Amino acid sequence: MAETESGFVLDGNAAAGLLQEFFAFEVTAAETKCAACGAIQIVGALRLYAAPMGAVLRCPRCERVVMKAVRTPHGGWLELTGTEYLRF
Amino acid sequence: MDDPPISRGFRSNRQGQAPSNRLPPGQYVTSDFPVLSAGPTPHLSLDDWSLALEYEGTVLGIWSWGQFEDLPQTPIRADIHCVTKWSKLDTTWQGVMFDDLLRAAGLRKPPAPYVMAHSKSGYTTNLAVDDLVGGKGAVVTRYANSPIEPVHGGPARLFVPHLYFWKSAKWLRRLSFMESNKPGFWESAGYHIRGDPWKEERYDGD
Amino acid sequence: MTDGRTGSARRLEWQVAEVRDIVVETPRVKTFLMDVASWRGHLPGQHVDIRLTAEDGYQAQRSYSIASPPEDELIALTVVRVDNGEVSPYLHGELRGGDQFELRGPIGGYFIWTTAVGVPLQLIGGGSGVAPLMAMLRHRDRRDDHGPAMLLYSSRSVEEIIYREELDAMTRRDRDLRVINTLTSRQPEGWSGYGRRIDKAMLAESCFPPEASPKSFVCGPTPFVESASRFLVELGHDPLSIKTERFGPTGA
Repeated sequence: MAETESGFVLDGNAAAGLLQEFFAFEVTAAETKCAACGAIQIVGALRLYAAPMGAVLRCPRCERVVMKAVRTPHGGWLELTGTEYLRF
Repeated sequence: MDDPPISRGFRSNRQGQAPSNRLPPGQYVTSDFPVLSAGPTPHLSLDDWSLALEYEGTVLGIWSWGQFEDLPQTPIRADIHCVTKWSKLDTTWQGVMFDDLLRAAGLRKPPAPYVMAHSKSGYTTNLAVDDLVGGKGAVVTRYANSPIEPVHGGPARLFVPHLYFWKSAKWLRRLSFMESNKPGFWESAGYHIRGDPWKEERYDGD
Repeated sequence: MTDGRTGSARRLEWQVAEVRDIVVETPRVKTFLMDVASWRGHLPGQHVDIRLTAEDGYQAQRSYSIASPPEDELIALTVVRVDNGEVSPYLHGELRGGDQFELRGPIGGYFIWTTAVGVPLQLIGGGSGVAPLMAMLRHRDRRDDHGPAMLLYSSRSVEEIIYREELDAMTRRDRDLRVINTLTSRQPEGWSGYGRRIDKAMLAESCFPPEASPKSFVCGPTPFVESASRFLVELGHDPLSIKTERFGPTGA
């Protein structure tokens, strides 16, 4: 399988299944403000990395981590320090 | 919970010709080399590259690319195991053993029992020094006889094949000694603090 | 079921889906029509996760867009057979009517369009990226909703245009729908359409102008999506009006 450099970045939309387990609302449709650069984005439009290990969602403008989510057999981890807010 | 339905006729195509004593539990052999990154590939010019060993803010050793290439180079052949279940056997690399890095920095013994590896991308992963010394860890610059491609962590990455491959931090810039085993990027998010594939230490709590 | 914007999402559980029919779309593409007993509906653009379990317990999981509209009873999953892939060769080569696998969904509250969202509808698809866009067009067709819509669809050759006859039939009966194909590898004798990868000029010629405020959806392989969306922004489209879905490996 040829891996192109851009081949492994996806949209936040692709993390909807994982994120669904953490939120009562459909979070990929929510608006968020990047705590690092202030850019306002829809979560589904964030850049998604590391998909098999978890979801690392980065701001398309400054590339800093907005949200990080991991689901393990023992529970889950959700880090939201890169967001200023989520608006549903 | 009900058992999931078996998909008639489905098999992993990753079941290669590996004797079972080569594969840690739950792993499958792959012949490709999947890329998994927590962020975009940084592009590093060798002119700007440096690798530092430090401890509590003090630089113990620092090398430019030229200086690093002048250090003793060791060829390595090892199996690598990713926590996402693929394993790649007999991979070949070349780089500087961690033991040689300590010697080059004039350190007869490491100043602290743990290390945080820092990538150019901001990624971090923690390791016990015991998991790096004695030939267990290296900083590698070549894979299969060629310079490591940026997507695979080039120009230099940490290489610790006896642990899950997330510990082999790509785009290595700094190895910081630390007194306590502070968790890095994945370790603080639910992954195992050490990550021994033979004990199937994938997640915190395993 | 999620509402048009964001509503509450129910906890997704794995359900059993049974193959009811298999449609050969092109030499490398098949659509699997699935009966999911407790399916509660979906919105065009959403996707599902599927999970296969081998006898030794090995599991593989993949995501596929739902190509059928909510108006249809069966869930359509359009799958390209990837050489040396793990899941798609199995689906293509082994799966028969009556076989089952696990599925969960619908997933996704972002890459969604319904007639309620409004028009003009601007769809740009590369290869199998046309699948979620087809759900949107089929929904529009079932609703007999004739606001302006266009699909710019990039395929390698005429034989590889997925849903070709159905798209032709849709455009014949709906004057508000334009489907523009570009064939990037091989063009048939007498082809007068585009014969190259999507570029800014092609988009400028085919798309609605920014002043029309189209709702844009771009779907396909990552490099395709990145260049098409960049060109749209360069042509003056509001980045927030462009929704993208990059197709790439998500499964472990």
